[in-house]
Amino acid sequence: MGRGYIVEDSVEGYLSKMCEAGAGPVTGVLIGQSSGQRDFVVTATRTPQREESAGAAGSSLDKEWVTEHARQVSRMLPGGLSVLGVFIISDADPKDMLISLRQLVFAVENLISKDRLWAAADDDITDRIALHVNSKTRKAVCRSLDVRDPKSTAKPADWRYQSGVCSCWATVSCCLEVDLLLALPENRTSIESMEKCLKDGLKAWAHQVEDGVCLIDGKKLPADTELTAGQKRNVRQTFTAQLLLTPDGQRLADGAQQCGGSVSLRGAIHSRAYLHSNKPKVNLAEKLLKRDVVSTVAVRVQMLLEELLTEEEGKGNSKEKHWAEQLSLPRRVLCPVKGHGPVCVCDYQFSDEGLAEVTDRLKEMLDLDAAEQDLDTRQELAAEPADSSGPTEPSVETVQEPKRNTYTGVAMATAAALLATAASLLYLQDD
Amino acid sequence: MSDSSEPGTILRVRGPLEFKCQLDSTVGSHIQKVISRTFETLRSRVKSESLVFTVCDSPVVVWPNRGKQETLYASPEEITPNTLCKDLQQWIKTDEQESSSKKNAKSKSKKIPTASVINLHLMMEVTKPGPLPALTLNRTVQKHHFLRTTLPMDCVVHTTCNDTIGVACERLLEELLHQLCEMEKVSLQHMKGTTLQVPEPLHFLLPESKGLVTVVYPAGVPDSQLEAHRKELHQRFELPEDRPYFRRANVYRFPNETYRDGYLRNPHLAVTHPSLENGKLYLVQGIYSYHHYMQDRMDDNGWGCAYRSLQTICSWFQQQGYTERPVPTHKEIQQALVDVGDKQGSFVGSRQWIGSIEVQAVLNQLLSVTSKIMFVSQGSELASKGRELANHFITEGTPVMIGGGVLAHTILGVAWSETTGQIRYLILDPHYTGSEDLQVITDKGWCGWKGPDFWDQTAYYNLCLPQRPKTI
Repeated sequence: MGRGYIVEDSVEGYLSKMCEAGAGPVTGVLIGQSSGQRDFVVTATRTPQREESAGAAGSSLDKEWVTEHARQVSRMLPGGLSVLGVFIISDADPKDMLISLRQLVFAVENLISKDRLWAAADDDITDRIALHVNSKTRKAVCRSLDVRDPKSTAKPADWRYQSGVCSCWATVSCCLEVDLLLALPENRTSIESMEKCLKDGLKAWAHQVEDGVCLIDGKKLPADTELTAGQKRNVRQTFTAQLLLTPDGQRLADGAQQCGGSVSLRGAIHSRAYLHSNKPKVNLAEKLLKRDVVSTVAVRVQMLLEELLTEEEGKGNSKEKHWAEQLSLPRRVLCPVKGHGPVCVCDYQFSDEGLAEVTDRLKEMLDLDAAEQDLDTRQELAAEPADSSGPTEPSVETVQEPKRNTYTGVAMATAAALLATAASLLYLQDD
Repeated sequence: MSDSSEPGTILRVRGPLEFKCQLDSTVGSHIQKVISRTFETLRSRVKSESLVFTVCDSPVVVWPNRGKQETLYASPEEITPNTLCKDLQQWIKTDEQESSSKKNAKSKSKKIPTASVINLHLMMEVTKPGPLPALTLNRTVQKHHFLRTTLPMDCVVHTTCNDTIGVACERLLEELLHQLCEMEKVSLQHMKGTTLQVPEPLHFLLPESKGLVTVVYPAGVPDSQLEAHRKELHQRFELPEDRPYFRRANVYRFPNETYRDGYLRNPHLAVTHPSLENGKLYLVQGIYSYHHYMQDRMDDNGWGCAYRSLQTICSWFQQQGYTERPVPTHKEIQQALVDVGDKQGSFVGSRQWIGSIEVQAVLNQLLSVTSKIMFVSQGSELASKGRELANHFITEGTPVMIGGGVLAHTILGVAWSETTGQIRYLILDPHYTGSEDLQVITDKGWCGWKGPDFWDQTAYYNLCLPQRPKTI
């Protein structure tokens, strides 16, 4: 018995449009939510053109490029949304495309799950979509692959369009404080060492989050309670979550250790997850929200480290014995997907970037046309500008503003006074 | 403190608090300053509004630092600061246990009602209404020592039937703050260089209604090195200085904490005691384990009864804190006798019986415990030993091994009337070969009261009366 995918109407239009373009095969990813009974495909986005190969041999599929795009896309998805699979639009026979699709599906899955800090759960759905659309006939042939087993056969799956798939999806969200202090090993205070340190620290923190108690709208509910029970149907609901944590003594090493330095991660993040409207349960809300909490922090740290690693050469800090630096992590900016109910995608805005860069990335990665005023910047405050009198260590450097390199390699412009804008938007919020 | 007819509710909150600090130098005074500062930070955390108590096995969550007027004090909403502690029970889900509930029901109906315990977990809420300051990463490069450990907070508050949650939580908070201060003291006192001994809170039940007292000990330091601390505690609580109350073995076992080693504790508490005209009960004090035939996969049926009685006695000394040595096996008992020259080497591994004299010798050899021997030339004389046995249970309160004829038993107490001379003996029988089923053991009299006719009237008996070492 194959899986059944319920697909937002707009996806049909989107895929059709690309059939018309007809310039060789088009690849892309499918985004949505899997549940025990059904899977919902909410949107699709094509793989962006690679600059160097624009107009060149577009007929061969660039596996690395497709998977890297998928990885970037998955970073822009709040909880409850994930990359569900890959599509290829071409005029070739679906059977011929199957090998390519299979390769892409597995490669995408492996890359995305590599950096995950949370463990897979037993009730996670491991089927992914391999969709082929014939550019001449517009016919969509959908198959599903079980990514746990590289040798599994592609099973036929149902692909059905429907309107308003996510119009009544529920949203669970919270604002959460992070406070991690980690020791850097002696004589190894490089970025790579900091990266390993942060990864271990975040992993331990992720366990704490996983084991934490989750309250929904102030209540601790049994896991299999229906979240939307007793509510009117076809009403969009929002829930506020609270997370209670306890330090897990077993996992982190006890005692005294000699260190070369320390790394701390402090501040707050906004986390949210979307839930399908087919009687979602409390344990699903808890699972998806907790995963988003962990992902959003991990992704930002990764982004910062990626930036630091590319500009490490420029630093002369390693000559000094004692120094300190404060780096701000990018803030989460949300963007509603028009016609998709409450569903938003997100991006991370570094403090030296403007909202224009965000809309550019949304267009490039998710093929989303958004204007700056559409963006929701109220959920997280932008970082404050550097204050050299801040930390009390003997020799303090001023705040570093890592330059953000976009996906296509275009250097970012330095920020305008976006902080003022963000602050004024804050005071205008109506709740 | 508590009315014995209304035992009240004990609220116990436990949870780890993370202790982290950076030491820029290893100078003693600097270390002390940093440690104190870190404890101060932890005390602020305990006073913060993010502190949460969750009631185990229930949906109840309390924010004890939130203003009493606020409706956000607890979840579910029905719970307010004015809710009575005992009313919390209705929210707690209790498991159904099959066979053990029968035993518990039987023993509960015969025991004095004990206070019920509500367990709470200490947690921190990390969510807050936003927006909040953005995420920043701070990196410092500077050689230092990084000290990290987890403090196992464990606070207890005894409430009566009229106490509200508001009052109880306030007291729990006070206890938490006080415990952090105690932990700070203990940490600083026992610190060696940059090594921190984890301060561990333990609860002790003191006699004469002094109730539960919490003491913080450094985890890695053995009892033998903490005598000065114990002495100070004995003086503070006006306890006699000849018997231990504050050794780790004396830690209070909460009603819901079961023993994991499989032995029954104090089965005599489930037995109905006789009432003699003008008679009084003189029973063993403290806790012992019931050792009997066939336990520990050792088939000693027919020869091991005195060994088992000796094991019961050793278990008493261990659980009262007089020794850390675990209960000896048959072989270890035999080896001890060889070591003191009482038996030949071939004794070890044999199935030879032992008597009271051997019991006395082993207690001396393995536990440094001395014992008095009482000799009775015929069993009928035991009826006249009421006063001596009563005195033994009053002053020493240790289980007594009695051997004679072909049998050995353990005497756990006597019921004796000074005026009529009537006497009964509370016997723990090591000849039982079944499983640790309290119902069977008490129903069938394997632990039970016997009259003077229980003894072989013509045989002679030796009793070994172990004496408590005068130590704390």
